[in-house]
Amino acid sequence: MEYKADMRDMKFQLFEWLPTTKLLEAERYAEWDEENISMVLDEALKIAQEQLAPTNVDGDRIGAQYADGKVTLPESFKPAYQTLCEGGWVGITTNPEFGGMGLPEVVGSAVNEFFFGANMALSLHVLLTRGAGSMIENFGTDEMKQLFVEKLYSGEWGGTMCLTEPQAGSDVGAVKTKAVKQDDGRYLISGEKIFITSGDHDLCDNIIHLVLARVPGAPPGTKGISLFVVPKFRVNPDGSLGEPNDVYTAGIEEKMGIHGSPTCSLVFGQNDACEGFLLGEENRGMKLMFHMMNAARIEVGLQGGALAGAAHQAALAYAKERLQSRHWTKFADKTAPQVPIIEHPDVRRMLMWSKAYTEAIRALLLITSYYIDMTHVTEGEEQERYQSYVNVMTPICKAWGSHWGMLVTNTALEVFGGYGYTAEYPAEQYMRDCKIACIYEGTNGIQALDFVARKLPMKGGKPVMELMGMAEKTFKKLKDDPQFMEPAWMLAGALKTMQTISKELQKRPDGMLITLLDAFPMLDMVGTILGAHFLLEQAAIAKQKLGAIFESKGVDPKDEDASKKLLEDDADAAFYHDKVQTAIHFCYRALPLVSAHAAAIRAGELAPMHAVMR
Amino acid sequence: MNCIVCMTHVPDTASIIKIGPDGKHIDESGIKWIVSPYDEYALEAALQLVEAQGGEVTVVCYGPARAEAGLRECLARGAHKAVHVVGGEETLGDSMAIAKVLAAAVKDREYDVVLCGVKGVGTDNSQVPQMLAELLDLPHVTNVTKLDVAEGTFTAEREVEGGVEVVESPLPAVVAATKGLNEPRYASLKGIMAAKRKPVEKVEVSALGLDEAALAGAEATYSVRALELPPAKEAGKVIQGEDDPKAAAAELARLLRDEAKVI
Ligand SMILES: Cc1cc2nc3c(=O)[nH]c(=O)nc-3n(C[C@H](O)[C@H](O)[C@H](O)COP(=O)(O)OP(=O)(O)OC[C@H]3O[C@@H](n4cnc5c(N)ncnc54)[C@H](O)[C@@H]3O)c2cc1C
Repeated sequence: MEYKADMRDMKFQLFEWLPTTKLLEAERYAEWDEENISMVLDEALKIAQEQLAPTNVDGDRIGAQYADGKVTLPESFKPAYQTLCEGGWVGITTNPEFGGMGLPEVVGSAVNEFFFGANMALSLHVLLTRGAGSMIENFGTDEMKQLFVEKLYSGEWGGTMCLTEPQAGSDVGAVKTKAVKQDDGRYLISGEKIFITSGDHDLCDNIIHLVLARVPGAPPGTKGISLFVVPKFRVNPDGSLGEPNDVYTAGIEEKMGIHGSPTCSLVFGQNDACEGFLLGEENRGMKLMFHMMNAARIEVGLQGGALAGAAHQAALAYAKERLQSRHWTKFADKTAPQVPIIEHPDVRRMLMWSKAYTEAIRALLLITSYYIDMTHVTEGEEQERYQSYVNVMTPICKAWGSHWGMLVTNTALEVFGGYGYTAEYPAEQYMRDCKIACIYEGTNGIQALDFVARKLPMKGGKPVMELMGMAEKTFKKLKDDPQFMEPAWMLAGALKTMQTISKELQKRPDGMLITLLDAFPMLDMVGTILGAHFLLEQAAIAKQKLGAIFESKGVDPKDEDASKKLLEDDADAAFYHDKVQTAIHFCYRALPLVSAHAAAIRAGELAPMHAVMR
Repeated sequence: MNCIVCMTHVPDTASIIKIGPDGKHIDESGIKWIVSPYDEYALEAALQLVEAQGGEVTVVCYGPARAEAGLRECLARGAHKAVHVVGGEETLGDSMAIAKVLAAAVKDREYDVVLCGVKGVGTDNSQVPQMLAELLDLPHVTNVTKLDVAEGTFTAEREVEGGVEVVESPLPAVVAATKGLNEPRYASLKGIMAAKRKPVEKVEVSALGLDEAALAGAEATYSVRALELPPAKEAGKVIQGEDDPKAAAAELARLLRDEAKVI
C-alpha cells in the first residue's frame, strides 16, 4: 500500500508556525537543530513509505494469527519492525540515559504521524513498548530500571498495558485481578485480562506487561488498585531470560480493523506461578497508570490525525486521476470529455473539508506535544502553566482527534466512490483501522466526561480561559483583514457562545445533567474553537509569506492571470495560498457546530433522558 | 581500508521538473534535493567494507552550497568525514570538468578504493567514474553489482548485455556501483545526531589548482544549447466497438499500421 504524507505542512507547522527552532535552543536538546530535525523527518517518512506501508496490507489481510497459546504476526512485519529498532525510532523521545534518543515530543509526534499513517497496527506496538519503558523508568526501582528500560526503549522487548477485564472496561475501578505479596517481596498475580494490545506476538523475545490488580483487603474502586510489572518470561538478575512466567494467551479477537495488532485475552497465574513486581506503592497504581494513559491518549488522537492524513492524501491523488462526468461548465454538452473528478465542486468540497480537519488535528497534536516539551524546559509557575494546558488538551487530542479523524477517513472513502468501498483501494482499511481510536484508551464518551468534570473546572477554569484567550488574540489580529474578517468574527462569536454556556451551566438547576449529557458536544466546541484558532494563526503566517512571494516575483495579486500562473508554477505559493483557503473553509464549515451544539445545550434539550427507549 | 565515495546531489526523482528562464537549466525552485540513488549504493558498499575491515569512509562532493545537506546525509548514514568542493553550477553536466575537480580533490588523500554511482540521476551521463580513474591513473570497473575486496585486490561482478562479467583488479581502483549491489541502509537517529559533529571540509576549486571559469569556458567539453521537456502524453484513442466489432478491429489494425507504425 502506498503511503503519502504532507511533509510540507508538517514542516510548516513545526518550523513556521510553532517555535520549535527556539525550543531546540534549550540545553536539553543541544544535539538537535532545524537542519538535523529536518533530516529526521525525511528519514522517518522514507522508512514509513518503504518499510511500514508495504506491510500494511499484510497486517490487514494476513493479520495476527493465534494457535496453541501463541500469537504470530505477518512475516513482513519483522524486518519493518527491525528497521524501527535499529534506527532508535522506538525510543525516539525517551531518556538518553537509558538508550533513548531524547528528541522533543513535538518531533516525536510528527514522526509518529508518519508511522501510524503508514501502518497503524505495527506502530501501536511501538507506542506501548515505549510507554511501558517510560513507566518503569519513572516509577520502578533501580533494579527494574536496569533490567527493563533499555530493552524496551530499544524495542528488543515489547510492552503492554493490562487494564481491561470483562467487567472492567470504562469502569477500571472494577478490576478483579489479584496480587498476593510473598515473603521475598514479589507478588503472585492471578486473573484474566481481555483486549490487551500486543499481549502476545513474535516480534520480540520477551514482553513486559504492566498489570492493574488488587492486593488482599484493598479498598473498592480505583483507590484499591495497584500496578505490577509482569514479564512473559522471567528475567534473571543478569538480564538473561529465565522460565516462562505463567502468562497464558487464551485467544485473540476477530475485529473490524488493525488486524495486524493482536488484541489478546491473557490469563495470569493459572498455575499459581505468575510473579509480578510492584511499581510504586500498593493501592496507588491508578495514579501511576495515568502517566502512561495520558501519553497514550495523545498518541491515540494522533492516530486519528495520521489516518485522516493518509486517507486524504490517497483521495487527493485518486481524484486527480479518476475520469468521470463532464466538467460542470459543460454539463449540457453531451460530447464534452470526461474530466478528473477533482474538477467537480462536490468532490473539491470533500477534499477541502478533509484537508482542513486533518490540518487542524495535526495542529492540535503538535502544539500539545510542544507544551509537553515546554514543561521539560521551564520551571515553577511557567512549567505549571504548560502542564495545565497539557492536562486540558489531552482528552481533546484523544477524542476530537479520533472523532474527526475517523470522519475524514469516511469522507475520503466517499471521494473514491465504489472503488473506495472495495479492498483494491486503501480507503476502506484506513476507515476500519481508524475507528478503534475512538474507543480504546477510554472511549471518547469517557474522555468527554474527564474533560467537563475534571479539566474544565481545573484551577477555577484558568487553563481553559487562557487557551481561549489565545484564540481571542487571533481574532483581534485578523478582524480587520478583509480576507479573514468574517471567519475571525465567527471565531469571536464561538468564543462568546462558549463563555455564555459555561456561565449558564454553573447556575442552572439541571446543570449537572446537561453537562453529562452534553459532555462530548462541549468537548467538540472547545476542540473546534482551538482548531479554527490554530488554522487562522497559520493562515495569517501563510498570507504574509504568500505576499512576499508575489512581491519577489513581481506579480500583482490583482492580475488574475499572472496570479494563477504563479500559483501553478510555484509550489510554495500554492501551499501558502491553500493554507489561507483551508482556514477560511474550516471557519465556515466547522465553527457553526459550536452554535449548533450551544442551541441544544442552552435550550436544555433533554429528549434522550425523557425518551423511554424500549 | 579507506574508501572515498564521490557523491552528487540531484533533484528527487519524484520532482516535477520545469525548465528555467534561460532555457538551459532546470528551475530549481521547489525542488527537493537528494543524494543520487546510485551514490547510495556506493556509500553502502564503502560502509560495509569499512565495517568489515576497518578504516574510514570519506565522502567527496563537487556541488553548490545546498549539496552540504547531501553530505550530512551521508555522514548520518555512517561516513566518517566529508569534503565539499564548493561550486559546480557552471560546469553542471560536464563530466570531464567534474572528473578533473574530483581527481584534484582526492589525489592526495589516502584511499584504497574510490566508489562512485554509475551515473548521476538527472544528467545520466555515466562518464565521471571512468574519467576520474583515467585522471588518477587507476583501473576502473563500472556497473558493479557484487564486490569482494581482499588484500590489495578485488573481484567485481558487472552487468553486461545478457550476462555477468567477473572482473579482477588490483587496488587502488575506481568502482562504479549500480542497483543490485546492496540495499542502502537508513540513517539511524544516532547517526543523524552524530552527523552534526562530523567534519565537512570546505574546499575552493581554486585551492585545487583549477580555474572553474576556464573549466566552464575555454576548457569546457560540453555545453547545453537548450533543454526541452518530453512531449506531453496525448490522450488515448478509444475505438467504439459495441455496434460493429469487425469494423472496430479493422480500424484498430489500420491505426496500428498507419499511425502508430508498430505493425
Ligand atoms: C482493539 C482493542 C484494543 C484494546 N487494547 C487495550 C489494551 O491494550 N489494554 C487495555 O487495558 N484495554 C484495551 N482495550 C480495551 C478498551 O480500552 C476498552 O474496550 C474501552 O475502554 C471501553 O471499555 P468496554 O469495551 O468495556 O466498553 P464499556 O465500558 O462497556 O462502554 C460501552 C459504552 O458505554 C459508555 N460508558 C461506559 N461507562 C460510562 C459512563 N460512566 N458514562 C458515560 N458513558 C459510559 C462508553 O463510553 C461506551 O460508549 C482495547 C480494546 C480494543 C477493542
